[in-house]
Parts: sequence; structure tokens; C-alpha cells
Amino acid sequence: MTAQAELDGQETETMTVREAIRQGLREELERDEDVLIMGEDVGAFGGVLEVTGNLYEEFGEEQVRDTPIAEAGYVGAAVGAAATGTRPVAELMFSDFMGVSMEQIMNQMAKMRYMFGGKTEMPVTIRATEGGGMGAASQHSGTVHTWISHFPGLKAVAPGTAAAAKGLTKAAIRSDDPVFVFENKMIYEQKGEVPTDEDYITPIGEASVEREGEDVTVVATQRLVGESLTVADGLSGDVSVEVIDAQSLYPLDTETIVESLRKTGRMVVADESPVSYGTHAEIIARAQEEAFFSLDAPIQRVGTPDTHMPFSTPLEQEVLPDGEGVQNAIEKIV
Amino acid sequence: MTDYTLETEDDRLEALRRMLTIREFDTKAGHYFADGEIPGFVHLYIGEEAVGVGTCAALDPDDYIASTHRGHGHCIAKGLDPDLMMAELFGKADGYCNGKGGSMHIADIDSGMLGANGIVGAGPPLATGAALSISHQDRDQVALAFLGDGATAQGQVHEAINQASTWDLPAIFLIENNQYGEATPVEKQHNVDQLSDTAQAYDIPGVTVDGMDITAVYEAVQEGRKRAANGDGPTLIEAETYRYHGHYEGDEQNYRTDEELQQWKDRDAIDAFKARLIDRDELSEAEFEEMQAEVEETIADAIEFAHDAELPHPQEAYDDMFSDTVPEIEKFANRARTDGGDSR
Amino acid sequence: MAHIGLIVNPSAGRDIRRLTGGASVVDNYAKRSTTVCVLDGLTLVDETVSVEIMPDKTGIAEHAIGEAPSELDISKVEMPIKETAADTRRAAAHFRETADAVVVLGGDGTSRDAALELGDVPLVSVSTGTNNVVPTPVDGTVAGAAAAVIATAVVDAETVTTRHGKIEVRADDVNGEKHLTGLATIGITDRPFVGTRALVDPTELLGGVVSRAHPAAIGLTSVAGCIEPIAPDAPGGAALRFGDPDETPRSVRAILAPGMTTTIGLESHESLDWDEPAVFELQDCVIGADGEREVELADATVTMTPTANGPRLVDVDGALQAASEKGALISDRPLADAE
Ligand SMILES: Cc1ncc(C[n+]2csc(CCOP(=O)(O)OP(=O)(O)O)c2C)c(N)n1
Ligand SMILES: [Mg+2]
Repeated sequence: MTAQAELDGQETETMTVREAIRQGLREELERDEDVLIMGEDVGAFGGVLEVTGNLYEEFGEEQVRDTPIAEAGYVGAAVGAAATGTRPVAELMFSDFMGVSMEQIMNQMAKMRYMFGGKTEMPVTIRATEGGGMGAASQHSGTVHTWISHFPGLKAVAPGTAAAAKGLTKAAIRSDDPVFVFENKMIYEQKGEVPTDEDYITPIGEASVEREGEDVTVVATQRLVGESLTVADGLSGDVSVEVIDAQSLYPLDTETIVESLRKTGRMVVADESPVSYGTHAEIIARAQEEAFFSLDAPIQRVGTPDTHMPFSTPLEQEVLPDGEGVQNAIEKIV
Repeated sequence: MTDYTLETEDDRLEALRRMLTIREFDTKAGHYFADGEIPGFVHLYIGEEAVGVGTCAALDPDDYIASTHRGHGHCIAKGLDPDLMMAELFGKADGYCNGKGGSMHIADIDSGMLGANGIVGAGPPLATGAALSISHQDRDQVALAFLGDGATAQGQVHEAINQASTWDLPAIFLIENNQYGEATPVEKQHNVDQLSDTAQAYDIPGVTVDGMDITAVYEAVQEGRKRAANGDGPTLIEAETYRYHGHYEGDEQNYRTDEELQQWKDRDAIDAFKARLIDRDELSEAEFEEMQAEVEETIADAIEFAHDAELPHPQEAYDDMFSDTVPEIEKFANRARTDGGDSR
Repeated sequence: MAHIGLIVNPSAGRDIRRLTGGASVVDNYAKRSTTVCVLDGLTLVDETVSVEIMPDKTGIAEHAIGEAPSELDISKVEMPIKETAADTRRAAAHFRETADAVVVLGGDGTSRDAALELGDVPLVSVSTGTNNVVPTPVDGTVAGAAAAVIATAVVDAETVTTRHGKIEVRADDVNGEKHLTGLATIGITDRPFVGTRALVDPTELLGGVVSRAHPAAIGLTSVAGCIEPIAPDAPGGAALRFGDPDETPRSVRAILAPGMTTTIGLESHESLDWDEPAVFELQDCVIGADGEREVELADATVTMTPTANGPRLVDVDGALQAASEKGALISDRPLADAE
């Protein structure tokens, strides 16, 4: 669906991605008292990146809990809680810390429903921040969502707009499956129109066409959605660029992407994760499986060039994928 | 369902029956594994029966347990159906997990069984989470995690106990110290003499009991349950026990002596409990023989059930990934449907 | 050379009373430290003493040997390790033949196990157990010093030891005759099983016999002491029978366990002489000695008899005071000479 159609007829409010996520969390805490937020300093402190804000004051310790600094422990507890009647929403302050909790993610959360022959629900949401751009260096800037999208039994979403940030957060919490919401921390201040309807959700598995175009399709995620839109505006008149926010990484809306590719015949995939063996490759593989004969040019990848995120600004800027990279890729194939 | 205690004569006989059932189930599981009919691994609980049964007798029927890779005994103690368990071991569609789990993943959340677990040390965080649900919803339950002496060294076990004790959650952590983690003796894995001493690190009570004495395990878990249900937080219990078989079936066991094994067998938990019930005039040799025959029949029936049950259809490999269908899996499933999976 | 026996019970002070009551844990780290203190205390006297320590599997004896002051001649008793009370008894039997004094670190149960085999060897009993009646909560170094002044005959053991009583039990039930010995108490609990051994719920006490009594003690001795104290070396003992406090003629408030002050209904209290048995008719219960449940009984006639042949307990304060009064703790030589 196009972003415009999605918002048509909805009452909206302008807010930042951060506020949109918080509003989504607030509405779900309100709707269902079995929704439990937990994580490091998500409570009284309001979250290190200030996403949970004053939810602790609004809902109290029973629903918004500060945990010990023990990712394996509280992610594991979230799994156990999800199997026994509550709907935990655990925050990983930086997705780089996910390795610490990976055991519980890959062997318990992802596998329990399957291994038990469907004998359990697993309504757990993991919110994790990603992305470089603030000089946080290699252990606090990673983009790891490919791991999760790759791993069977987990769902992964990575919103690029404020509306999707709210809609996907709510969809994740309502889902009976484990859903990871990857929040790029550089767009927390990015503003957008966000529906105010308390039942507005963005269905998991649907991409959003943010801008329609005829010549080339840019499939982008997170921060690169906004940057691609800027590039598209800059190129307008010369090149007509269609920009799709993939939004959901697994399941992935192959149909919307392929439909666009059939129209444009050209595609750039822009995602901050490292390029090799990754999210880009998956999108491209699906595109060629479904629309090989519509292709007019080789598909391009824009991502982090297989390095970690370095600290010093010129180094970080060197490897951080951005609008310029998207523009170069477009120019290469049109 | 754990609808027995050790308080009445009938309860005690039921507990003895469960211990016998576990031994018979695992003895037969070992045979069928050796015959190649059961794939994968089986970790047998023989020797440790008093721990599982003493524990579950002290729990309420609705309480949760998180189990380990050595989980058959916990399942039977908790009241799971041997037919469905055996069918699962045989990989049959009628098994507890429709053949997707096998020995190391039997689960039945509705019976409070949160799953055997192939990951050493993964159960305690799950129990902490279950205790969080219980406490959040103010339910009258507790959650107990079984863990091995080996598992006690895992980082996530520490995190789980720390969190449960910091939040005063209704949890119990029960270490089954069977003296070895695979081939490595407990002294080579831990600096403390008694694993329950680690409780001090969490400011919770810890106690070590004789795991070959069902009444000792029962009493300790009863106390732990009281504390948990009162909102006093978790308890750490170590039960000292021994596994008679190898770590897995086929293990050479060159790490222990026959004398050591014999010393523990001399204190066999089933023999000891049986003798006490006879002493108390609650059981006669003849009645015991009868009970043993019934148990053998129960397990023979389970094996027959497992043998007769259908293998899962290959298509079922695509079921139960998520609560809904996702196009990716649909696609693979559909391909399998049309070409038998050749074009994956 | 004067010879000292040392018994440290690795499992004392960590039973289920940590779960059910207010008892505190005595971990191995604490026991190891106390053991080393005892050894250090032994150097208070000029004469070099030799020490033998009971072996164990938890590293206590090993550690003690490694950390012992160099002037001590220390070794482990050669014996198999069973990791049960049998170890204490076996070591004590050895010390009866060889030692001039024995130091025991543990609780009432450990002291009893040692006393069963120790004969006339003076016993310094240091508390590392749970709510103890017999062992004194004394610093290990001080206890070692007291043992040293006795073993080296600096003071006369006769004057600073007291003879503690014992309680002999004989039970006849459907399964025959069973025996049990207690040092300070024999208790009867309304529980079907030995279970975790320790007294879990003191309100389940049905009565018993004590060889000593004081209201400042804990457990059955406290109950008896609330009625009539009996000094540790006083002859005889007392038999107690409890009932529902709403129905019994009298009741007492007593300290039954750490953190557990309870009202006990008193059916009867009867003073006993040495060798005067008290008889109990019991159904489905467990009798325990010195705070630990030991014997399950179905339908039994039980006699409990205080006897005079308990251990010779060292009065630690008295021993060191006697040494001081004799001037035995002062050296006239300059320190350089003494070295
Ligand atoms: C995380 C992890 N590491 C290693 C293993 C392999 N493994 C399976 S059982 C086991 C020994 C576990 O010992 P313990 O916890 O004492 O349980 P026991 O087998 O004695 O019942 C090991 C190392 C595993 N399954 N999971
Ligand atoms: Mg083990």
C-alpha cells in the first residue's frame, strides 16, 4: 500500500519517531495490563535514549520494570513470561548487546512454539536500537537485524517513518509471535504524520510505498528511507524514483517490491546492515526469483561496507551508508 | 497434574508408583534407543527419581516446572501421559510435540511443564519469567526450575536467580547434583563445596538435601513453595543424587568407578522408600510386586501406543513456526507439496 | 608431646533450618577460617603440640594443614571418608586412644557423634552448627588455646571439665528394637518421615527427654528450662509431654528455634534421676536426637533414660583462667631467648 493511501481519511498528528513509539507503547499498556515493559533503565530513568520517557510514572513498576543489567536473564524471563500468560516488551538498549542474550533468543524464543508442536504462544516483543552516526563506536552502533531476520521463528521489523514506528510497535505487541522492532537511533527525532486512532497498526509483513515513481525502485529501511526520499526529490525531473519502506524484514512483503520492480525494471536496496550475506541479498534474491525478466539493469546494494562502525567522525562518515550512496547507485543504473 | 503429596498413605503409594514408572519408562527408552528405534539422544533419569517425584509432590497441580535435557522423570512426576511421551520419543505425530521435539523438548504448558531443554542452564530464566507472569497476575502458583550441577555454572542461571530474588518472585531453583556434568565431576566445575552455598550471593536461603530420600526433597520443596507463595521470594535447593546410566545412552563412563556407582545404588531411592512404606505397614511385598507389574504394563502400553502411532506427514515440518502463516513458509510448504521438496 | 585431635564437621550449620527458621549459614569458608584459628590458638603454650585432623572431601583439613603455624606438627587421621556422621565417630574412636584433648567444630549433633566414641578425653566443643546447646559459641583461637593448656597439663583437666549426661533410647515397634543416643535432648515429632532430618516445624514437637535445661537455651532444653533449669553436670534430666495449649493444664513460652518463640501446651513435666527411664507410647512419629530427626516409628513403646556417662566437656573460660592463675601464660625470659 502507498503511504498516502494508508493515512488517507485518518486523523493524524505530527510527532517524532521517538514520540510515536512511546505513544504506541502507551496505548498498548493501557489496552492490556498484561503488557509488561522491561529493560535497563526503561523505568524511573525513562530510557537511555528516552523512548519510554514517563511511562513508568503513568503505569507504575508493575507494568514498566527496570531490570538488572543482565540481558540473558531478562530476555529469558520475557520468554518464560510470554509462555505463561503475559506480553512482555523487553528493550535492548543497543542491539550490540543482543549477543549476550542470544541463547534465549535463538534456542528458546524462536524455537519453543515449533519444538513443542504449537503448544505455546510466544507473544514477546524485543525493541532494540541500531545504527551509526553519533560517534558511539563499534559496540554501540551496530545494525544486526539480518541475524534475526535470518533466524527461523522470529519476526523482524525496522520502521523508517514515525507512522510505521508506532504502527509496527503496536503490531509487535499484539502479535502472538516473537517480534523484534529495530529502531534506528538517528531517526528518533525525525518527524512525521502519525494516526491517532488507538487501533491503528501497521501489519507485520507489509511494505509501504512512500513515494511513487516510474524509473527506479529504491527499497530502503530505517534512516535510509528518509534519505532516499530526499534523493528522490532532488532527482525529480530527471529520474522518477519510487521509494519503498520495507518496514517488515521477516516476513518481507515480496509482492509490493516485485510489483514495483516490474514497473521500473531497476532497483537499489538501501539498508544500513553490512553488505555481505545480508538483508540486501535476500531482497535481491527474491526480486530476481520473481521478476528476473523485468530487470533492465543489475540491482545495486547500499549498506555498510563490511566494517564495524568506527569512532572518529571522518571514519564513521566514510562507512555509514547515506543518501549520497543511494544517489550514486541510482545514477549507475539509469 | 501433580495431584499427590506425601501426606497420606495413598499419596505415598502414588509417589512410589511414579518413581517406578520413571524407572521403567527410562529403562525401556534406553532399550529402544539402543535398538535404534528412538533417534537422537536420550538422557536417562534412572537413579534420580526421588528428586523429581519428591519435588512435584510438594508442588501444587497448577505450578510450573522448567525442566532439563534429562527431563523424562520430571514429566512423569508432573503427571504427563507416558503414552504421549513415548510417542514423542519415537518421533510420532501423536507425541506431545507432534514429533517435532523428541526427548529433549517434551513440553505441555497446560500441565505446567514448560519444557525439557537442550540448552544447559536455559530453564532458570524461563522459570523466572513464569514467576513474573504469576506475580503480575497475582495467581496462586509458583514456578520451579530444575537444573543440573553443571548448569549451575552457567551465567544465565546467575542472572535468573538474581532477578527472581531481586524481584521477590515466586520461584524455586532446584539443583539436581548428580555429581557430574557429562564426564566432569562437580568438584572440577565449582569452587563451593555445596552448590546451595551460592544462595548467599542472592540473599536467599539455600539448602542441600539428600536427593536419594524422597521425603527430604519433598520437605525442602514444600518450604520453598511456602516462601514463594508468601511473597518471600525464591529458594535454592540442592538435591544430592546420582545417575545410574551414562550421561547419554552409550557413554563409556570411564570417568567413574563401579564402586562409586554401587555405593549410590546401595542407597537407591526406590528401595529405600519402598522399605519405609513396608516398615510402616502401608505396603507389602506382594502389593509392591503388583504395583511393579502394573507399571510395566503402563509402559508396555505406552510403547505399543508409540509403535502404533503414525509418523508425522513431512508437510507438518512447516507447521507451528508462527501463530499465523507467513508467505515465506507457505511458499516452501507449497513447493514441498507439489514436488516433494526437491527444488528447495 | 601432647597430642590434640581436631574434628571439623563439613556439613554442620547448613541444614534445612536455614530455610524454615532464622538459623544462619556457616559455609566452608567460615569453617576453614575457624579451623586455622584453632590451630593458631594451640601455639599459646610453650610446648610444641602435635595435631591430627579428621580428613574430609571439602578441603577443610587440606587447607588447615597448609595454613597451620609452622611450629605445629600436623597431619590427617588415616581413615576412609564416608561423608556421613560415621566419619566423626571413627575419628573420635581414634582420638580416644591417642589424644590428650579434642576440639570439635560443629553443632550438637557433631558433639554427640564425637562423644559417643570419645570416652574420657576432654572435649572442647565449638559451635559452628545450628541452635546449639552443648557447643559454646567461642572464638576458634580461644578454643584452641584452652585445648592446649589442658593437653599439655598446664592445668589439671579434672578441675576445668564437667561430665555431661546422655540420654539412651530404646524403641520397640512392629519392626523390632531400635536404639538412639542423645546428648542434650531426645525429641518426638509428629511427622511420618525423617525427611531433611532437622526439626522443620517445632510446633510438631510432642515431647521428649532432656539431660539439661535452661531458658536461655534453644529448643526442647529451652522448654524444660522455662519450668526448671538443670545444669549441664547436674544429675538426671526431665521428661516432657506436650499437648494442645488450649487443653493442657499449663503452657510455656519458649524459644523453639532461632526466630521462633512459641507457646507450648504442657501435659506433664517429670524430673528424672540418672538411669530412671521415661516411657512413651507413640504412633507414627519420628524421634530425634539433639535437634535432628533420626528414627521413624510406627507403633512403638519408647524408653528414654538419662545416663551419667556423657563426654567430659572443657570449660574454656575456666581452663584459661586456671592457666593464668598459675602464671603459666607469663614468660620470664626475654623474647630473644625464647625464640
Ligand atoms: C549450553 C550448553 N552447553 C553444553 C551442552 C552439552 N551438554 C549437554 S548435557 C551436559 C552436561 C550437563 O550437566 P548437568 O547440568 O550436571 O546435568 P546432568 O546431565 O548431569 O543431568 C552438557 C555439557 C548443552 N546441551 N548446552
Ligand atoms: Mg550433573
